[in-house]
Amino acid sequence: MIALNRIRRPVAVAKRLLQQFRRDRRTLALVFLAPIVIMALLGALMRGSGTVNPRVAAVNQDRGPLGAVATKILKDHRGFRSEATAAAADKALRSGDLDGYVLFPASFSADASGAHRFTEELHIEGGSQSARPYLQQAVAGAELAAFLGAQAKPLALPADSPRVSYLHGGPTLDALDYLGAAFIGVVVFFLVFIVTSVVFLRERTQGTLERLMASPISRGELVLGYMAALGLLTLLQSIVVLTFSLVVIHVHNQGSVLLVLLFTGLIGLGAANLGIFVSVFSRSEFQAVQFVPVVVAPQVFLAGLIFPVDQEPLPLRIISNLLPLTYGIRGLRDVMLRGSGILTGEVLGDLVILVLFAVAAVVAATASLKRREPN
Amino acid sequence: MVKAFGRVRALDKVNLRVRTGEIYGLLGPNGSGKTTLIRALVGLLAPDAGMVTVLGRRMPNVAVLEEIGYMTQQAALYTDLSVEENVGFFASIFGAEDNVDEALKFVDLQARRGDAVANLSGGMRTRVSLACAVVHGPRVLLLDEPTVGVDPQLRAQLWAGFRRMSAAGVTIVVSSHIMDEAERCDRLGLIRSGRLLAEGTADELRGRAGVDRLEDAFMRLSAEADR
Repeated sequence: MIALNRIRRPVAVAKRLLQQFRRDRRTLALVFLAPIVIMALLGALMRGSGTVNPRVAAVNQDRGPLGAVATKILKDHRGFRSEATAAAADKALRSGDLDGYVLFPASFSADASGAHRFTEELHIEGGSQSARPYLQQAVAGAELAAFLGAQAKPLALPADSPRVSYLHGGPTLDALDYLGAAFIGVVVFFLVFIVTSVVFLRERTQGTLERLMASPISRGELVLGYMAALGLLTLLQSIVVLTFSLVVIHVHNQGSVLLVLLFTGLIGLGAANLGIFVSVFSRSEFQAVQFVPVVVAPQVFLAGLIFPVDQEPLPLRIISNLLPLTYGIRGLRDVMLRGSGILTGEVLGDLVILVLFAVAAVVAATASLKRREPN
Repeated sequence: MVKAFGRVRALDKVNLRVRTGEIYGLLGPNGSGKTTLIRALVGLLAPDAGMVTVLGRRMPNVAVLEEIGYMTQQAALYTDLSVEENVGFFASIFGAEDNVDEALKFVDLQARRGDAVANLSGGMRTRVSLACAVVHGPRVLLLDEPTVGVDPQLRAQLWAGFRRMSAAGVTIVVSSHIMDEAERCDRLGLIRSGRLLAEGTADELRGRAGVDRLEDAFMRLSAEADR
């Protein structure tokens, strides 16, 4: 009975917040629909049928035989054509008909057999990233085939794909799986952060926080109530995002779904309390929104979502190691891509760090309520 | 008691004592320190010098907060929730869920209990706010301009309610700049520029200033204090 009395006020706060969320269709859409849209976009962009199709050409000026052979091989590649002269190719490059071309110079065969060097020139339009690697790869293969074919009888070149074996995942694992696992954590973090900072700020601006501070509820009870309601919201959100990611866009998951939910739940709790804490420093909802890029940008770039943390320059790596999402993203990838259990590798360590971050955020949020604004 | 914000002395050596069961009116213009005084009474502000004692205990004190009903100047409510949900929430903070009906009856809002506060007029919101302040049956009621935007008929009705509460032993401190309201208080404190200029019943204040109207008395006593 005493225990029940202890949680009475946090329960009242949580119940009231859930009543408010139920009424607030925009917030509900932000929490449940936005992540689905984000994941669906990610899926469509990364697994859609749109393929890279650079328009490229080969120009042969070689006085020897190799240039002609290589050009012939290249013409079988997708998007390749041959141009008679460099001038014609340059014109096509300028008019936008070509993304790039390779030029085999007059001395190409002589250089290859004499100096053992391929002296082709690549001309790139430069406005798109995809032409150069495509051209380079195709040219290198064609030159090798032409050279070997000229030296002796043609070799059986290594097949397009060497035989590969995977420790985790498999040949079907792609960039969406790698990004998707991390995105789930990122989406939960930011949406919960935004919702909490605005909801709590409203509590301040509409004067209800003042009223609560003049009531017997303690700061800890208030934060606990917020945590209960937002924890529940985070859990529901995680289930929705995860179900959509796994069932509809087929993000790879090799690990335990419960462990994934544990990660997203902890990420959400940390974000919620960070939101409460940050709302102290805002006087309007607009000011609260100004905090979003401050919190969002470093974590998008430095938490390992796109750029791996261990490849960052040292000063940035230090910052990365202070960001909670770094551990959330690493943990989610370990569980979903590698099938790690709670005791495998760094998973437990990552969980502990996330718990510590959430606790620190709770303490900061509770302490921040002390600051009573002057009139 | 003294409280300063930066160089502004919001409360300047204010010393007052409110008797149990009386209705004490804080009368003064906007920015005179009424709200600061009430916030200090409820423990939201710590005075720079001096102290606040409520029900014999020094503030801030969580146990005393159980006995205080506080109505802020701005109708501090959750606008997306219904009238009943608002009153119910504050009731549950105090463990007084059973009193919701009674509080709604006190402000005459039973018929609108299901309406969202966002759809209510300013006067109705003030009434919801009042219901939230009285729902737990406080022994001390602090009201910061409680009848702003409330029509005269309902104002009279609410004051009848305050009278009944006072008769039942509830101590009420009410701030106002409406003279008609001041007339209804047992005793008044005139506040200006953070200082308590004069104290007494409406009749005493009129008598001291030698005028017939409370408003004139306020002007006269302010001018005397300036001299």
